[in-house]
Amino acid sequence: MTTTQAPPAVRSLETVELRKSFGGVHAVDGATVTFRPGKINALIGPNGSGKTTFFNCVTGMIKPDSGEVTYQGADITGKAPHRIAAAGVGRSFQLCRIFPRMTVLENMLVGVRPEGLLHRLRGSRNADDIAKARELLRRVGIDHLESSEARDISYGQQKLLELAGVLMTDPETIMLDEPAGGVNPALIGRIGTLVRELNAEGRTFVIVEHNMDMVMSLSDHVVVFDRGRPIAEGTPAEVQGDPRVLEAYLGI
Amino acid sequence: MSGSLLLQSVILGLLLGGLYALLAAGLTLYFGVMRVVMIAHSAFLILAAYLAWWFQRETGLDPLLSLVVTVPLFFVVGFVMQRLLLARLRPATLTMMSVLLTFAIALTIEGLLGYVFSGTQRRIQLDYSGSSLEVFGANIAVVKLIAFGLAAVALLGLWALMKLTRFGQALRATIQHPEAARLLGINTDRIAGFGFGLGLATAAIGGTALSLDSTIYPSLHWHWIGPLMAIIVIGGLGSIPGAAIAAMLLGVSQSLLQVPLGTTWAQTVFYIALFATLMVRPQGFFGGRLAQRF
Amino acid sequence: MPSASSTRTGFDTALLGIKGLALVAAGVLVLAFPQLAPDAFILSVGVVIASYAALAVSWNFVGGFTGYISLGHAAYSGLGGYGTALLILEAGWNPWLSLVGSAVAVGVLALPIGFASLRVRGASFVIVSIALVLILLLVSQSWSDVTGGSNGLRVPRPFGEDVLRPEQHERFFYLHVGLIVIALAVWWAIDRSRFGTGLKAIREDEDKAQALGVPTFAYKLTVFVISAFFTALAGGMYALWFGSLDPIFQFSILVGSYMVLMSLLGGIRSLLGPVVGAVIVGYSLEYFKSAYGDTQFHLVALGLLLALVVLFMPDGVLPALGSLVDRIRPDKATSIREMTAAELVEKNKEIDEARREPEEVSR
Ligand SMILES: Nc1ncnc2c1ncn2[C@@H]1O[C@H](COP(=O)(O)OP(=O)(O)OP(=O)(O)O)[C@@H](O)[C@H]1O
Ligand SMILES: [Mg+2]
Repeated sequence: MTTTQAPPAVRSLETVELRKSFGGVHAVDGATVTFRPGKINALIGPNGSGKTTFFNCVTGMIKPDSGEVTYQGADITGKAPHRIAAAGVGRSFQLCRIFPRMTVLENMLVGVRPEGLLHRLRGSRNADDIAKARELLRRVGIDHLESSEARDISYGQQKLLELAGVLMTDPETIMLDEPAGGVNPALIGRIGTLVRELNAEGRTFVIVEHNMDMVMSLSDHVVVFDRGRPIAEGTPAEVQGDPRVLEAYLGI
Repeated sequence: MSGSLLLQSVILGLLLGGLYALLAAGLTLYFGVMRVVMIAHSAFLILAAYLAWWFQRETGLDPLLSLVVTVPLFFVVGFVMQRLLLARLRPATLTMMSVLLTFAIALTIEGLLGYVFSGTQRRIQLDYSGSSLEVFGANIAVVKLIAFGLAAVALLGLWALMKLTRFGQALRATIQHPEAARLLGINTDRIAGFGFGLGLATAAIGGTALSLDSTIYPSLHWHWIGPLMAIIVIGGLGSIPGAAIAAMLLGVSQSLLQVPLGTTWAQTVFYIALFATLMVRPQGFFGGRLAQRF
Repeated sequence: MPSASSTRTGFDTALLGIKGLALVAAGVLVLAFPQLAPDAFILSVGVVIASYAALAVSWNFVGGFTGYISLGHAAYSGLGGYGTALLILEAGWNPWLSLVGSAVAVGVLALPIGFASLRVRGASFVIVSIALVLILLLVSQSWSDVTGGSNGLRVPRPFGEDVLRPEQHERFFYLHVGLIVIALAVWWAIDRSRFGTGLKAIREDEDKAQALGVPTFAYKLTVFVISAFFTALAGGMYALWFGSLDPIFQFSILVGSYMVLMSLLGGIRSLLGPVVGAVIVGYSLEYFKSAYGDTQFHLVALGLLLALVVLFMPDGVLPALGSLVDRIRPDKATSIREMTAAELVEKNKEIDEARREPEEVSR
């Protein structure tokens, strides 16, 4: 773990020259990024710098105009979202997205990685899955709400539910779009704790976040986006002192 | 098929295509401002045709004059319909529920037309109904030319309104990026209402044009909505130029196929083109940015 | 660990009892209907309503699970009817074999149609669903060699001519009820399967479902084919009973909108919603027809009713009843417990302590 030249043992998520524009807006403009496997990576940048669009391109929600996305060495560019999810990349959405008219427990059972056709047709009230779902709900602390409809629980609880739902798919890499957006400080703490815990279990994180306290305390590696491409990267301390970052944020 | 017959078919197809283009532009407007597939569009078309026919029967004046009343009336109805009915629907299920709601409106209009004017087929008789012009050796009915002229003028007017006025700018902004438009201080709800009004105004003009040379009956709108929806899908939902090109192409194809196949089978060209489009390029052939997720 | 939700209260038990009793009573009533019906006409109305119910339940495979509203399911019932008739007449098959054969054929045909219309979201699906009925109406009217055109097509009766009318009605009433029960059983099984959970997730948020690994397109296509299959069965069954087919009525936009209205009114999310809706709408339709004859006014009534349901009761009557029950539920206030800030801090501490140990090891 000392040399800088040695290639990393496992490759994780990488993009090469990724581009996506909407009409005249170059939302992602030639982004070449390598995320550190097994680490908590943060992706920061001013509003509208293309972070969410970048996420969407990586997870297949929108097709990039050009460029390449690879995961663990395999090309996943433009693959359907469910295939990318099956490859082990889970994600949350910026504006928390849950299934409002399903119960909390049903929400959890959507994201089970299927093992063949029979598994799909099997009852969703399958004991193993339910046990796993309850375990995860307990872990994020909303197990007492399992039979409430998801639209009836609070926003913070919905965020936790979304995270737990993603965990049901057993992702090796988890991409979170503003996990702390719109939630109270106590909950931010809890989410941070969870991320660390999960990271300690070996899961890689890529987190888009505007809450700098959270970014600085949590992440191992920070990538700074501006106008659709990375302008700086490094440890939190390195990035914090980088004049280019300051410039991007203050818009000088 | 002889040369002159071919030419005649192409010209008739283009003339018909003009009317399709105008009506499809209306459908595209609704889709643009609200992501709504407005099934009642063609029902309003037939309603306007009935109003033109009724106006001519009652007053004896030229049915074109009925536009003075129907265009503003339809604009207001469109605005009110959007504000009072469609805006009430939940955004999450808007696409589906708006289809149902406008479908319900179409049924209601059809039923009312049948109730008020009975199911009898109607046709306007004008002094110039029978006359025709020689165009490059092809015989074209004058009423068809008038109908096309009306559609063309209306389309041009719509284009000018969209491109040259502040209102048009706001409308386009609302269509392309509603959130950004709101941030710029555009009242997107009102603009969406106006967009609906404009769309329905195209149905008023189209209906009057249609009444000049068509036999009308209450359930006729089903023969129009299918082709029109096919046109907007092929054109790429939300793209007015795309819809216009698709309308012209399909109008000509229909007209050409009518000669060997007859009217009924020629209609199927729309549906075949629709299925083919969805198979090959589900987002449509032109424009189509909006369509990706619909 | 608190687990307040899994304990059943007395109120719930009572509710379950009432529901069970109502269900049994309804079942008995349905089964006894042919005996209770005063004359053959009322009996035939019963068959019509049962046919509507079978159609609505079949429609609800797509509508209820995925939230995709098809206005053109008459295409599948019509094809089912014509397929059954043609297999009997042209291929000389046994009527029941023809029924199933034609439904299978329609299911196969639904594959390319679904493939074309389900790849993009809702709008194209609806457009195709309407276009399909319109195109089939055109084709079946002009292709009179096969369909008999507007003269209609006579469907031979499966029970022979010596079985009298009321007896025919009675048998077909039970056959329809049998079909409904089978369709409901399949719906119920899907509802409880992982497949069903994926479908419902599509209904709620398609992108999110796909991001969680649900192969949304394959799921939608599968349930679409199942729906077309059952719709064709219902259409074929009706054809066998009614004995004649006319394109105008087989490929009618109205029939498709009846299915939507019935399911929506009853409640598309619930198993029995479409059946309840079919009974309400079907009864009203028949009543309307016998009271006012075949005026254009039934279109207006249908249109207004559909608009009212869409605007004010998009969830249907059964869920409305459900929320009414929820309102009188005694323990409602405690069923959702927010965690207080203090509790959160407490819990956070707990987790932090638990976390610290492995972290210190790793350093
Ligand atoms: N679907 C879309 N259509 C048109 N423009 C879009 C679309 N999605 C994003 N954009 C534009 O692309 C640019 C990048 O947006 P994006 O949401 O990716 O930024 P972001 O970094 O996530 O911002 P934030 O921090 O506010 O979430 C913006 O200018 C936005 O307006
Ligand atoms: Mg964002």
